[in-house]
Amino acid sequence: MTDPVLRLTDVRRVHGTGATQVEALRGISFAAYAGELVAVMGPSGSGKSTLLTIAGGLDQPTSGAVVVEGADLTGLGLDARARMRRTSIGYVFQGFNLIPALTAAENVALPRELDGVPARTARQEARAALEEVGIGELADRFPDDMSGGQQQRVAIARAVVGERRLILADEPTGALDTETGEEILRLLRARCDAGAAGVLVTHEARHAAWADRVVFLRDGVVVDETGTASVDLLTEPAAR
Amino acid sequence: MGTTRGGWQVALRLARREAWRRKGQTALMLLLICLPVVAVTAAAVVWRTQDVSGVESIERRMGAADARLVAHEGPMVEQHFDPDVAQGWVGEGTRKPATLDEVLAVAGAGRPAVPLLRESRTFRTDAGVADMEVLTTDLDSPLAAGLVRPVEGTFPPGPGEVVVNRAAADRGPGLGETLTVLHKTADGEQEVELEVVGIAESAVSRGYPFAAGQPGTFGGSATHEHEWLLGGGPVTWDDVVALNRIGVAVASRHVLTDPPPDSVLTSGGSPVSSLLLDSGPDELTITVLALVVVMVLLEVVLLAGPAFAVRAKAQAHALALVAAAGGTPRQARRTVLASGVVVGLVGGVVGVVLGIGAGALAVPVAQRFNSTVFGPFEVPWPLLGVVAVFGFLSALLAAVVPAFAASRQDVVAVLGGRRGEGRPSTRSPILGVVLLGAGVAGAATGAVAGQEVGAVLIAGSALVAVVGMILVVPVVVAVVARLAARLPLALRFAARDAARHRTRTVPAVAAVGATVAGVVALGIAVSSQEAANEAEYTPLLRDGHGSVSLSNPDTDPAAVDAVLRKAGLDDQVEAITGLRLSTDTEEMELEFRQGEEALWLSYWSGLGSPYAVGETVPDFVDIAPAARERADAVLAEGGLVLLQDPHASEGSYTLPQLDGDPVAVDVRRWSDDLPEPELAATAEAPTVLLEVSGTATVLAVFSPPVVEDLGLPTAVVGTLLAAPISDETEKDVAEALAALPGDPYFYVERGYRTPDEVRIIQAVLAALGGILMLGGTLTATFLALSDAKPDLATMAAVGARPRTRRGVAASYALVVGGVGALLGAPVGFIPGVAISQPITKDPVTGTTLLEVPWTLVGLVVVGLPLLTALAVGACARGRLPLTARID
Repeated sequence: MTDPVLRLTDVRRVHGTGATQVEALRGISFAAYAGELVAVMGPSGSGKSTLLTIAGGLDQPTSGAVVVEGADLTGLGLDARARMRRTSIGYVFQGFNLIPALTAAENVALPRELDGVPARTARQEARAALEEVGIGELADRFPDDMSGGQQQRVAIARAVVGERRLILADEPTGALDTETGEEILRLLRARCDAGAAGVLVTHEARHAAWADRVVFLRDGVVVDETGTASVDLLTEPAAR
Repeated sequence: MGTTRGGWQVALRLARREAWRRKGQTALMLLLICLPVVAVTAAAVVWRTQDVSGVESIERRMGAADARLVAHEGPMVEQHFDPDVAQGWVGEGTRKPATLDEVLAVAGAGRPAVPLLRESRTFRTDAGVADMEVLTTDLDSPLAAGLVRPVEGTFPPGPGEVVVNRAAADRGPGLGETLTVLHKTADGEQEVELEVVGIAESAVSRGYPFAAGQPGTFGGSATHEHEWLLGGGPVTWDDVVALNRIGVAVASRHVLTDPPPDSVLTSGGSPVSSLLLDSGPDELTITVLALVVVMVLLEVVLLAGPAFAVRAKAQAHALALVAAAGGTPRQARRTVLASGVVVGLVGGVVGVVLGIGAGALAVPVAQRFNSTVFGPFEVPWPLLGVVAVFGFLSALLAAVVPAFAASRQDVVAVLGGRRGEGRPSTRSPILGVVLLGAGVAGAATGAVAGQEVGAVLIAGSALVAVVGMILVVPVVVAVVARLAARLPLALRFAARDAARHRTRTVPAVAAVGATVAGVVALGIAVSSQEAANEAEYTPLLRDGHGSVSLSNPDTDPAAVDAVLRKAGLDDQVEAITGLRLSTDTEEMELEFRQGEEALWLSYWSGLGSPYAVGETVPDFVDIAPAARERADAVLAEGGLVLLQDPHASEGSYTLPQLDGDPVAVDVRRWSDDLPEPELAATAEAPTVLLEVSGTATVLAVFSPPVVEDLGLPTAVVGTLLAAPISDETEKDVAEALAALPGDPYFYVERGYRTPDEVRIIQAVLAALGGILMLGGTLTATFLALSDAKPDLATMAAVGARPRTRRGVAASYALVVGGVGALLGAPVGFIPGVAISQPITKDPVTGTTLLEVPWTLVGLVVVGLPLLTALAVGACARGRLPLTARID
């Protein structure tokens, strides 16, 4: 088997100290391979988002190793981790997180421009990425003038532009209607089929069905990594 | 009514809690409102403390006495209850000043009295002589207690002894040494040597040389007035009026403390205030002052505006929820305005309290730079009340625009997490352009109107133009955002974000614009005035050269030479021989005429006489070689050379061309014995009139035969000193020459020098402009950064380097500072160009000057925004927000 794009080994993350100390992740290990979409499920507070921020190098684990495309993020400085996010890791957020002052094309071009690619080239790449997600005609619109679904497509285009190989999606359909959400997941799936590794954080089983594998978290621990059999056990008590 | 009150109660409660919840933001808002209040309060405290009122000055004026009396030569005195404020003489004829017996006969026999005399004298210093104030009174008397404050040594001094202050001691006569006081009398100059037995400071002034001694210590007095300190109980207003009738002005402790009603203070039937020289500020001053206050208020409102806009934005979601629950736009408006009320009230009060403290700290510092001893610490409460109201008003006004914006926000958009700011008004920029046009028209009218009306018109139109500029700012910011598409990421983001958050950006840009407009306007006015002053300046000598005038027959040229030798200038000296025009008893005046037509030559000379005598033109006269040749030929023929300095020509008068033409010279003699000047001699000589290329130093060069014909004496009339003469040498020589008989006039040509006060104004302008610009830009930038935190977090998430935040911060500063400066500079030209016209207008020719300080303009338009951007970029936190949960 080839090396994984993302590998987490015995990752722990502790927030706070003393009486206020919270252990968000307690020795998590898992991997995501090229062409694979991994869904991470679990109830609120199980550590899903913490896992994603650590995998993206936005946060550092208290202990353990996070390796992206052969580079251990825990040994990298702020600048080097930022470079990884520009070149290797793409993020998709539940709230889209587009910059309202930039057009759709400029939002997509942002990681490339930040990486020093000339603005003209970066925008050409961005337009191509927007075409790929089906909204090429909206390239010059500002986020405020777009629907939620359109904004999330822009966010996906931004996550994949520049041929990045790891896509981290944190509840990407949470703010969208069912139909639009399905379209977004289809795009994610397509990107993984094209060779990227994807990690999809969700707490909806039907969304997890798009994944190749499902990792179940509870209280910061991986409780199952095999399939969807244990989904019922992990849903909120009120929803059971 | 009840609903309104209730609405305000809720709004104020919300505002109070919001202020407490967002402490950092509230602190910034308070800072912006407090700072001007603190500054004005501290200035008011220092001003009132340094201003010594009549009652506060009692001790320094009369010590422990009940009154200070001054007997004049006039027949009767009419005075204000404080004679130092106003007094005048009435009645016909003159009389000798009243004697002490006459005074006591009116004021009450048996009252103790001591003579008092304050005069100006000169004294010998280590370097030469200097001026000093001397006080003579019976220093043993309890009446004089408080006039002099002993510091060191013996007090009071006895006969032949003296106390001096530290300023005098530092210049030579220290404790235990001898003070030599010079005193001019009818019999010539007198020297009095006194032993310095103590150091003591005057109750009136400090820093200026001062000495005090017993009556008669400093020799005879030149004054014809008599002055006493009077004791023996209160001197009433009736006593004052009675003493006025014998020509005595009275400052009475009792009257100063408890003044009589205005109705009794009359002068020849008119209120005694008609004697006042200074009748208070005129309408023009009040109008200009009012405009300045409005400008300052506007600036404070603009500076604080962004903070209130950000607070309103932070409340936007809550206000949208209130609107969704049935709240009206008025209630939303009131909620935001309540923030202004809360911050204004607290800021006004806290600012005043801090200002009083700052004033207390500033008083001793200000005293160090002021020679007059300040009064007791004083807080002008009514004025500070006005200042606190100013603070309150500025906060309230700063909240007005955000309040209206909040009441018009798109509730659905805000609840949906989208932008809530409406589209910019299209009417406001049109109104702005109209106001700018009105400002230009008003300034143009003011430029050609009279000085007084013109000043008000120009100041008013400046205000109108600035308001117009503020209304245009939103459009300009939007245009800049539109043009930003090709700019680098950080600048593009900053420009677009600035346009998206107009209520935050516009006041900051406008504050910078208003500051720049003010700096440019004042810069143009000051530079133009300076250019006019420089154009009018006529150098007397070549630059860096010096001269000593020997016009006074008492001055011994050998003594002058000795001083110059001691200063190391002996090899730079050139003695000038000229016509001596004055003796002890008479003065000569020369008039030149061609036939019956008088030739008017402008008189400028630093020598004892403007007429040199010689067979050739002296080297120090700057004329072209060909002209010199011609002039020497005329002098060789026994003629006369007249020199015309183009700098010194006045008005439109032009001299006729003279090239060997005969010119008559009339000598008129002035003397005390003659009722009118008489013609003493006349001579005619071939004359050439030449224009000097540099400086003339003299007006004419006479050949010896002409001098002989006129029968005038010749002598060394002055000494020219070649450059260089250092400032230090100049000071030493001036002080040494001042000690010589005849007080020879010493002058060194330094060219036109900008007066110190102008330099201070320029420095204050630059500093104030820089501070305000920096303050406005920094406030807006850091508020924008705090507002843009989610966007910066997103940038971090997609791979922005930590230093990106710095780039964004610097870009914000550049956008706010650059756009403000670009808008403000042209607006500043409107009043600047206009005011330069009346202040530089030549009264004779009517010509005006316009000097634009391009360096200053370049500095504020380009340099300061760049510098501010660099400073902001350097100071901004480099680390991007990396939150654990980024959404």
